[in-house]
Amino acid sequence: MDLLTIPPSDVLIQGILSGILMGFVYALIAAGLSLIFGLMEIVNFAHGEFLMLGMYTAFWMYALFALDPLLSVPICALALFGVGVLVYYGIIRRILGGPMLAQIFATFGLAILLRASAQFLWTPDFRQVGDAWVAGPVQLLGISIGLPRVVASLASLATFAGLYWFITRTETGVALEATAQDRQAAALMGINTDRMFALGWGIGGACVGVAGAFLTTFFYVFPDVGSTFGLLAYVTVALGGFGSVPGALVAGVIIGMLEVLAGLFIAPAFKYVAVFLLYLGVVLVRPQGLMGKF
Amino acid sequence: MRRSTLLLLGLLAVLALAAPALARLPYHRDLVIKVLLFGMLAQAWNILAGYCGQISLGHAVFFGTGAYASTVLQLQAGVSPWLGLLAGIVLAVLLSQVIGYPCFRLRGHYFAIATIAVGEIVQTMALNWEAIGAARGLTLPLRPDSLLAFQFHRSKYPYYYIVLAFLLVCLAVSWWIERSRLGYYFRAIREDPEAAASVGIPVTRYKLIAMAFSAAFVAAGGTFYAQYVLFLDPESAMPLSLSILICLLAVVGGVGTLWGPVLGAAILIPLSELTRVQFGGTGRAVDLIIYGALLTAVAVYQPAGLAGLLRRAWGR
Amino acid sequence: MIRRMGRRTALEALLALLALTAVGACARPPANEVVIGVLYPMTGPVAQIGIDAKNVIDVALDIINNRHDLKLPLAAEAGLPRLGGAKVRVVVVDHQGKPDIGQAEAERLITQEKVHALFGAYFSSVTNTASQVAERIGIPFVNADSSSPALTERGFQWFFRTSPHDGHFSLVMFDFLKDLEKQKKVKFRTVGILNENTQFGSDSAKVQEELAKKHGYRLVAKLPFKSGSPSLDAEIGRLKAARPDVLLPSIYTSDAILFTRTAKNLDYNPRLIVAQDAGYTDPKFVSEMGKEAEGAITRAPFAMDLAGRKPLIPVVNEMFKKLSGGRDLSDVPARVLTGFLVLADAINRAGSREPAAIQKALRETNMPAEQLLMPWTGVRFDEKGQNTGVRAILMQLQGGTYYTVYPFELAARDVLYPIPTWAKRK
Repeated sequence: MDLLTIPPSDVLIQGILSGILMGFVYALIAAGLSLIFGLMEIVNFAHGEFLMLGMYTAFWMYALFALDPLLSVPICALALFGVGVLVYYGIIRRILGGPMLAQIFATFGLAILLRASAQFLWTPDFRQVGDAWVAGPVQLLGISIGLPRVVASLASLATFAGLYWFITRTETGVALEATAQDRQAAALMGINTDRMFALGWGIGGACVGVAGAFLTTFFYVFPDVGSTFGLLAYVTVALGGFGSVPGALVAGVIIGMLEVLAGLFIAPAFKYVAVFLLYLGVVLVRPQGLMGKF
Repeated sequence: MRRSTLLLLGLLAVLALAAPALARLPYHRDLVIKVLLFGMLAQAWNILAGYCGQISLGHAVFFGTGAYASTVLQLQAGVSPWLGLLAGIVLAVLLSQVIGYPCFRLRGHYFAIATIAVGEIVQTMALNWEAIGAARGLTLPLRPDSLLAFQFHRSKYPYYYIVLAFLLVCLAVSWWIERSRLGYYFRAIREDPEAAASVGIPVTRYKLIAMAFSAAFVAAGGTFYAQYVLFLDPESAMPLSLSILICLLAVVGGVGTLWGPVLGAAILIPLSELTRVQFGGTGRAVDLIIYGALLTAVAVYQPAGLAGLLRRAWGR
Repeated sequence: MIRRMGRRTALEALLALLALTAVGACARPPANEVVIGVLYPMTGPVAQIGIDAKNVIDVALDIINNRHDLKLPLAAEAGLPRLGGAKVRVVVVDHQGKPDIGQAEAERLITQEKVHALFGAYFSSVTNTASQVAERIGIPFVNADSSSPALTERGFQWFFRTSPHDGHFSLVMFDFLKDLEKQKKVKFRTVGILNENTQFGSDSAKVQEELAKKHGYRLVAKLPFKSGSPSLDAEIGRLKAARPDVLLPSIYTSDAILFTRTAKNLDYNPRLIVAQDAGYTDPKFVSEMGKEAEGAITRAPFAMDLAGRKPLIPVVNEMFKKLSGGRDLSDVPARVLTGFLVLADAINRAGSREPAAIQKALRETNMPAEQLLMPWTGVRFDEKGQNTGVRAILMQLQGGTYYTVYPFELAARDVLYPIPTWAKRK
């Protein structure tokens, strides 16, 4: 087989476009992970499972109450906000001062627990939202693209804008940012850092809840779905720079696009090899990622 | 050494030699063999991550290298698995230096994710590499029992003693590292790389040395696995889940200690096996619920690992 | 203080758990029963397959152990008549898709649970290692659902496969292509292969590549990918660029769902899809994506629409649905049921629990077509342990339901060709 194939231009344009849109979705999934890291330097290895819970929430709203995923976005956000806060108080708060490794395996254990519980409660069967409001293709510049993905990308951009507004314009957001900058100084200024951390986990959860709701409009749900997106989310966050929310956005788009280009020009089997190589290449030049602080 | 420690060591030695006689059922022997194998893998990981502070989540690469090197040499050139074992170790050490040299510039989570990235890249290459069986994997033919062929079917004793020997060598080397200047440098790098560099320790070189030791033992474990299971494919010989398991065992047991990783394997491997046997057939994943809950609980209540618990009980 | 309590209770819980499992492991089978060890993936991405298999084995046990008015082996009497009405019991274990666990479990089942035969294991890789143990110890291993051709090429004496393998399946596909060319007066020139990259997908792709070459088709796209990918955009792009006349996917349920959805969104219009079972025959895929995947053809050893010819099918299907929470019988459970009954029937004919006697009875198996759910000509094993009575059929999704379309003499519907484009479907 040829080492390099040149796709026809319509396929190429369609690929780039759909890749960018997928990138926004990756970015949305990664946003919460990045936010939490920026706040307290913890990587949540159960992040993919949070996404899974968000997707199941949207699915059950649809299956039980015939609620379209678009309508259950706030419910998913709220539910996952709760999950985030609960996980913070139940687990994370107790290992804050612990070694990085204890944090890794606490959240990793949580991931196994959540995945297995999902199978216990809801069987390992594949579920999907059969007739979501947004479905099917839409013609963009004469090129066919999935409408759900367009909507999910818009939601991703809106969420990022909302996060930016919250962090820079609201008092709580500023307090959150101050805590991220310097824990001790923030505490001295009378900010309750404990509550800020809980809030950070809540918002991180809410972001991935939103992502989950939109993802169900074009992706199936099952207990292991978290691992499908989880690994990419870590790479997205690391590529963008740990703790940098705008970095996650940029990295998500780059990954979404690169994945398609590598698949089209080289071979689909190696599309994630290209993504991982890009990550290695970037951090070897810039050890703090694209937009991370050092 | 204290007398009680000597006594304990003696007791463990007797137990180790007699274990296959105590574990009468083949399945229990299999369990003991896996505990020893994973104990060695976890201890090997510990040399790099525990002593030297470099958290790798890509050690399955070295495991796969060892497994594939001996198997491919055996299938294609009729080379004895024992020579294959050496070839696997050499290859894994070389690979570890190639991976380590650039990646050791990275810190903390960036390093950990870089090792995941390397692991995924290597696994994808193996999945698409026809000469080593690609995704279909390789099957080793059944041979009559012999030490030379590294295959034993009538009894598991030889496998047991071989893996026990591997583990003891690994522990002995770790013990030596702990006590030597090497270990002192490793710990200095773990505690504060900048300070270590400022007192003239060539940081990258010592990280590479730790990585080489670590990779060598993991590769030996890989060859053992291939000879034990007689089938391997990239899904089973170098998955990310294996890298993470190796790390978990060491961390749960007690990272940076000599006995912690083995202890972690001795607790987690039987636990996951026995719960799977007990509950796995129901299809409701109860075994994994228990496993996940336990991991989280240990992290919360005993973040330094179970070795700390034992040490306190011992000291009392 | 509270922290210390927590620690101690955690430790006690752990010890209690170990004790509990150790006690459980010591149970011994009572005298008059036959025990079969069953290995399936019960957790992980394909756990549903294992659960389906477990449910259908429960149906088989009901048929064997109780009286039923069904034209299936062992249905008429309770238990195994030649063994004094002995009941059959199974020990089901989860191998998690890992070859080393499959190996250890096979050994444990034989030596500890004292099973008289082994059955499983779906994943070709796990079947490989588990049957190796059975071969070494000398216990029959019956497989009903692993499609790697290599499994019956190992020269094993104790390994029997009731179901067709990728070689049979793919041969039928290419026979079909040739026959369809004649029937529709078209000429196919190029094929594209899309396969998930584990043993199942890559084995299938390899056979198909060889057969395509032999039949004079040009392979214009060979696209292995990692199962469970978050996006298949690049794969679809490659297919749009290569435009194969025939697309041959070998993919699991999750990928089949994503592939169909992505094809729709990116307006990819294959003219003919001939799938290698797996995801395409999952009842979930059929019920939820059936309409979208209109025109997809899949090979299968089993089809529900043969019910007219086989009155057994609806009866067994009802029994299965009671256990499966409403999921219909599909390809894998049907094959599992057949394989399991073949094994139980052989044990009965052996009239003994001795491995050698069961092995001999398995070799002498000659089950007629009427006693099968499958459209096969029967079950008879060749010297390699492969069932020679297998016959694969092809079925096509038309209006959301699968209909048998090939071999033409069994066909319920005419082949729909080419698949209507997405634009024409509204």
